[in-house]
Amino acid sequence: MSDLMPLPQPSIETVPFWAAIQERRFVMPKCDACGTVSFPPTVACGVCAQTNFTWTEMSGRGIVYSFVVYDRVYHPAFKDKVPYVVAVVDLEEGPRIISNIVGMPIADVTCDMPVTVVYDEVRDGYLIPKFTRRG
Amino acid sequence: MRDKYAIAGTATSDLGRTGKDSLELLEQAMRRAIDDAGLKAGDIDGIVSRGPDDVYTHHQRMGARLGIDVRFSTSLDNGGASQILAVALACMAIDAGLATTVITGYGRNSWTRTHTDEGNRTQMELVPQDQLPKEFAPEYGYFGAPATHAFGARRHMYEFGTKREHFGAVALAFREHALRNPNAVMKKALTMDDYLNARMIAEPYGLYDCSLVSDGAGATIVTTLERAKTLKQHPVAIKGFGTFNNTRGWLVEDHMIRLAAKQSAEAAYRMSGLSAADVNTAQIYDCFTGMVIAQLEDYGFCKKGEGGPFVASGALALGGSLPTNTSGGQLSEAHVEGMLQIVEAVRQLRHAYPLERQVKDAQVALVSGHGGNTVCHSSLVLGRV
Repeated sequence: MSDLMPLPQPSIETVPFWAAIQERRFVMPKCDACGTVSFPPTVACGVCAQTNFTWTEMSGRGIVYSFVVYDRVYHPAFKDKVPYVVAVVDLEEGPRIISNIVGMPIADVTCDMPVTVVYDEVRDGYLIPKFTRRG
Repeated sequence: MRDKYAIAGTATSDLGRTGKDSLELLEQAMRRAIDDAGLKAGDIDGIVSRGPDDVYTHHQRMGARLGIDVRFSTSLDNGGASQILAVALACMAIDAGLATTVITGYGRNSWTRTHTDEGNRTQMELVPQDQLPKEFAPEYGYFGAPATHAFGARRHMYEFGTKREHFGAVALAFREHALRNPNAVMKKALTMDDYLNARMIAEPYGLYDCSLVSDGAGATIVTTLERAKTLKQHPVAIKGFGTFNNTRGWLVEDHMIRLAAKQSAEAAYRMSGLSAADVNTAQIYDCFTGMVIAQLEDYGFCKKGEGGPFVASGALALGGSLPTNTSGGQLSEAHVEGMLQIVEAVRQLRHAYPLERQVKDAQVALVSGHGGNTVCHSSLVLGRV
């Protein structure tokens, strides 16, 4: 297994998400008809079934629904990263995504903690969104 | 379909560290199950197996190995929920007149497969590389099934005050049962200190929260109850079955603490005309300790959120109010994705065990199956005839 930090391999549908992240913009597809934000993207809105979406800037705010702490290395690239937190984050606009909680003591991370997005360089200038405590 | 169909034969393959191929294990279990029922391979006219997923234990290949052409066969793909679904589909096929005697089964060589060389041994995932998530996982260091399930465990702890000692009570109860089962992989007693001090896998889950990586297979023979009564074994009636799939995903709403088990249970109870209060023994899909607690709640053995104190009360022990995973389960017997739970329920209802393993006067057994990225659930209610 490569020692290099893994980069996300975007699907055809998530290319716009990752491209915007490189510009420190956090965008997701918002339904033009009812305003529901769907992520991962879908062909039609899950609420109103309309098919027109606009990639729209999100607030970057959310709360931690749940999280785990890895203190063992399961990939060589993470050998200097442990312990680290992988979390399920509920975004203010609705979608729920997987990310890391960073920039705070791990012992202080809790469910329902408010968080906000930060942009973290994985390697070679490639950014991914992570979250840190807000307020 | 209540009481129309029965499990007339059942068996497991060798379990643990076998050095065998997955198809070889499943063939061994199927031939033993055919034998157990007092039948010949030529009497089987239906095959429902699990696959394709990470291991292709496909119905066609099993038919070839058994040397039979059949009237009905297919392979299912509902993960750990497939094994009960296979029994349900067997009933439906017989009911539709498409077959009379259906063999179901699943097997895989998870231990052998991951211990053939050092590269495999340290591989975190049992699924092939090309099926692993490509985004929102590896770049965050999110690897392995334990973390996925540990999200649910953490949320359950947060919402209901469930403690690691509660998860530990599940691990200890099933280990105690495994010590009574000569075929179980785990042979050593487990204490709460052992549990709490074991290495963390993905906190809050430690080593003993996680099911085993083991080889194994199991099989059942499904036929009409009427016919089963004329065969070699005391028949076990299929009282009811149900399924429900949270196909929107594990990460949606509260799916990780309120499983598809709830609706699946309702369907199975409805068909059987029975309820949680009628169940004498439960064989629960125990991929991880917290999943047992959540399912016990969803099946109505206690209220949502009270699963922790329920298991800590000793309910799961042989001699407890709900003897559960009496062969040791996937945490301590062997992990064959829910297949061994069916085998164990049938054996308990035959009353064939020595006293120290037998659930006293067991009349009704509940079996659960869960899987397919934690989305799919299936339930089976079996009864002594």
